[in-house]
Amino acid sequence: MEQELQRLQDEARQELNALTEIAQLEDFRIRFLGRKGSFGTIMRSLGSATPEDRPRLGQLANTVKAEIERLFEEKQSALSAGAAAAKADRDRVDLTLPGRQPTIGKLHPVTQIMNEVCAIFEGLGFSVAEGPDVEHDHYNFEALNIPAHHPARDMHDTFYVSESILLRTHTSPMQARIMEAQQPPLRVIAPGKVYRCDSDITHTPMFHQVEGFLVDKKVSFADLKGVLTVFTQKMFDKDLALRFRPSFFPFTEPSAEVDIACVFCGGKGCRVCKRTGWIEILGSGMIDPEVFKMVGYDPDIYSGFAFGVGIERMAMLKYGINDIRLYYENDLRFLSQF
Amino acid sequence: MKFTLDWLQEYVNTDGISAAEIADHLTMLGLEVDAVTEVFSELAPLQTALVLSASPLPDSDHLQVCEVAVGPETLQIVCGAPNARKGLVTTIALPGAVLPGGLKIKASKVRGVASSGMLCSERELGLSTDHAGIMELPPDTPHGQSFVKTAKLADTMIEVDLTPNRPDCASVIGIAREIAGITGRPLCLPVESAAITTPSREFSVTVESPDLCPRYAARLIKGVKIGPSPLWLRARLLAIGQRPINNIVDITNYVMMEYGQPLHAFDFRNLAGGKIVVRTPRPGEETFTTLDGTERKLDADMLMICDGDRPVAVAGIMGGLNSEVSNETTDILLESACFNPVSIRKTARRLNLATEASYRFERGVDPDGTVNAMDRAVALFCEIAGGSCGPEGMDVYDGRKSPLSLSLRISRTSDLIGMDLDADRITKLLESIALRCTRKDEDTITVTPPSFRVDIEREADLVEEVARLIGYNSIPTSLPQVGLSYPEQDKARLKRHEACRILTAIGFTEAINYSFTAEDHLEKLELAADDQRRSVVRLLNPLSEEQAILRSLLLPGLLENVKRNISFQTTAVKLFEVGKVFTPTGSNEQPIEKTRLAGVLSGNLHGTGSPLYFKSQPVDIFDAKGAVEFLLDELRLLDASLPEPLSFRIPSADQLENFADPRQALILCKDAQVLGTLGKIQKDILKRFGIKHDVYYFDLDFETICALAAAPKAFSALPVYPAVKRDIALLLPLHISAGELLHAVADSREKLIEHCEIFDIYTGKPIKDGYKSVALSITYRSADKTLTEKNVEKSHQKILAMLTSRFEGAIREA
Repeated sequence: MEQELQRLQDEARQELNALTEIAQLEDFRIRFLGRKGSFGTIMRSLGSATPEDRPRLGQLANTVKAEIERLFEEKQSALSAGAAAAKADRDRVDLTLPGRQPTIGKLHPVTQIMNEVCAIFEGLGFSVAEGPDVEHDHYNFEALNIPAHHPARDMHDTFYVSESILLRTHTSPMQARIMEAQQPPLRVIAPGKVYRCDSDITHTPMFHQVEGFLVDKKVSFADLKGVLTVFTQKMFDKDLALRFRPSFFPFTEPSAEVDIACVFCGGKGCRVCKRTGWIEILGSGMIDPEVFKMVGYDPDIYSGFAFGVGIERMAMLKYGINDIRLYYENDLRFLSQF
Repeated sequence: MKFTLDWLQEYVNTDGISAAEIADHLTMLGLEVDAVTEVFSELAPLQTALVLSASPLPDSDHLQVCEVAVGPETLQIVCGAPNARKGLVTTIALPGAVLPGGLKIKASKVRGVASSGMLCSERELGLSTDHAGIMELPPDTPHGQSFVKTAKLADTMIEVDLTPNRPDCASVIGIAREIAGITGRPLCLPVESAAITTPSREFSVTVESPDLCPRYAARLIKGVKIGPSPLWLRARLLAIGQRPINNIVDITNYVMMEYGQPLHAFDFRNLAGGKIVVRTPRPGEETFTTLDGTERKLDADMLMICDGDRPVAVAGIMGGLNSEVSNETTDILLESACFNPVSIRKTARRLNLATEASYRFERGVDPDGTVNAMDRAVALFCEIAGGSCGPEGMDVYDGRKSPLSLSLRISRTSDLIGMDLDADRITKLLESIALRCTRKDEDTITVTPPSFRVDIEREADLVEEVARLIGYNSIPTSLPQVGLSYPEQDKARLKRHEACRILTAIGFTEAINYSFTAEDHLEKLELAADDQRRSVVRLLNPLSEEQAILRSLLLPGLLENVKRNISFQTTAVKLFEVGKVFTPTGSNEQPIEKTRLAGVLSGNLHGTGSPLYFKSQPVDIFDAKGAVEFLLDELRLLDASLPEPLSFRIPSADQLENFADPRQALILCKDAQVLGTLGKIQKDILKRFGIKHDVYYFDLDFETICALAAAPKAFSALPVYPAVKRDIALLLPLHISAGELLHAVADSREKLIEHCEIFDIYTGKPIKDGYKSVALSITYRSADKTLTEKNVEKSHQKILAMLTSRFEGAIREA
């Protein structure tokens, strides 16, 4: 009987090894482990064994049965795993197909840059104020130390609505408006649309600016440099070279223009930077004492700086846009790029 | 302002400093260099040539065959110039060279005679209009050399973009002064300080308006011979883009460029009575013809230069035709004067006449430099034009101002610049550009600016000079020490950002259009004659009719955008714009500016979504309505808890936009106030905008909407007990609108009803004509218990009864 059990175990192992289909398993189970199966038949002969052999043979039979059952389960799980894999194979998806993307819209690149510029200054504690597009000559010019018949008016090709009402040529009128209404210390930026009657390959008659100014006691040109350096580094690469260059604005003195190393040629000199290696990005300066006097601030007590950033220009530099007319055609092929 | 390096070299030694370094110095001094260009580079291929022999070409009345030596080579050239002769040194363009006019020189045969190049006239080289013969170079000029080098034409032109505050640098000497200052090299001037000590007895000068003409000086030069200027002078003028005219005009222009002092030469013969009177026009003097041949209308306050009888020049702007120098002129009255900048500017503006002279006078010419420049020109007239001039002249200087004496505080300068400066350093810097400094006290320096620095009038101007001379990039960088404060946020701006975020999230892209637009847009939209948006703000000086008015609504711009996109094959368009519209208030008043939000939808709803996953489906009115609903809902303005939530209504006839399809139009209302409209745009209106596709729009009074109180975000407890859903299919007459059903259910106040929605609407078979099937789903829920069928049934039957009786409906059996 011992031999029979051993043979049965070997037979079972061989048969299981040979099985390939899940459907054949049941047949095996009936033949070996079923009540009328081979194992049952052997077990029934246990009764004819001697009483002293019986416990030992019983134990052996249990071990053999457990082993066959173990092999059976092993085979069963192996076969069913194979079947699941085969099904998964049949249901395979083509993962090279595109993902199902939702369609969203985009903010205009000018708005994106404007938000970016504002966020940098808001981070420095500046508040944001907006003013009218259609301005009084007074705020656009006179209050900024640009009297009538001043040659600096040539720098502003102005659209007029009536004799003294015009489309603001810069966002600087907000300097005068805010200083007139509030007392220092002041830290304000004023984003908005501005207008110049000039239209060619490099000018659109409407564009966007962010004006900013800071007024307090003992504000210096070094502070202007510091704030605008932080701005430029946040806006562009922090390692980008920048320089401050003397310029002229009637409402600031000293006045400075800020150049960055040309982003197109890396400062080597190209057509965009007129071979200078530098690109102008903003105008700035210490607020002129005349501007303070006109709003009733004592220029011996207060000082401050102001700056103006051209948004379209900033977007051109950041995104490499090479034709400013694209901004206002609202072609989705353009707008969706940013 | 343009100048050349050779020219600059006359006043300051620039040896060892490259053009790039000079350009960099100037830029960093605030004189931004726009361009650095090699001049006459187009003449580089030309060489000098010696004519060895010239003999007539047989069968020709004017052509000659010349043997020409060009260095070691001897060439045969056929030439038509009458002055081609043995021993002449001239210029030659060899085969392959391209002349300034674009003519390419080739070896050729003229009447069977080989000609291997061309001998050139000045006109052919763009050096003058002279085409009478080929160029005649000095006989000792070596041949076979580069023409531009031997003629000393090779030079570098630098163009500076001058700011309006630096008229002193509208002159080569002004530029030289800055370079001398920064390099510490000496400045040398052809005439440094001249004065007229002997009054002339041959002419008189009377200044009737000294406030408009602080100084007027003149000298008489006799016996000049008008002719072309020497090549060096013409070359200088050509290099800076000025056309040579004749020696007299060229000299006045040259000295203006050199000193920044505009000069004018009158033909003395034409000055009645030998008199110069500086005055405004007399009655009857209404027009004047300037030397460009244009008749100009004079105003009573325009300053004129007159002779004994009549005006002969518009002061400081342009001379008159009646006293212009001509080829027959022999005696010249040379004017060098200083005029009031505002007066010149006003006149130039009104005459619409901007000249090199007016440019300088408008910005301010050095009143002390008047006679220096005049004497320089006189010297050139004598040297170049063969004139003669004694020491006599006139100099009326009634507007002399005493030099300014400005106080500069050292502490203030240090504070403003942000670095510690001492008196010595400041003095050294300022004196390098001729500002005289004396120490007044511990903290104060007294500074006297030179007369040519008309821009320096205040302490602030001196601080700028100090900063500029230190070099902005040598000034330290710091951050302001300011008190901490919280910047108040502009609520309207935040709302705008929020709206932009919401709309982009649902597939709308932001557009920005010009604030100005074409007036015919209003016509195209068929706005009623009394529509308030017909009253618009007009520009006095628009660039074009397309941009003549400030927009009173956003829609036209967006429709143009739709057209553009469709024409570039982007047919799925969802755009929005938040922008201002303008309403006039009164003449010389600011218009009212109101922010509106408008959007347009056209083409495939799913836009760029992959057709694999999104079936092509055209947008319809519900996409427009849904977008507005979603926006308002996200802005928390539709919440039922609000006292007056916004709602959509069907417009009455007078509320309907003329451009909207009357069957597909809605208005957004808050009580009786209309805050926006939306709908489908009429086909024929779209046609006028060049659009053949359907377009839906919305247009909201965003400013008012922004100001509305939004419902606060408030938590409500999540339901604990399950809901029971009941569906109803109702058969209703077609005219009953679905919204009424929902309102009726909401108004029923059955408290177990949590939600009611429509999930299907169907017409067609088997529904009988004139009817539709509307399927509603009602959700019942109690906050206190699990509802039983029985609890729900009572409410549900009430609702069914109410709906069927009120809307002439019937329950449709499933």
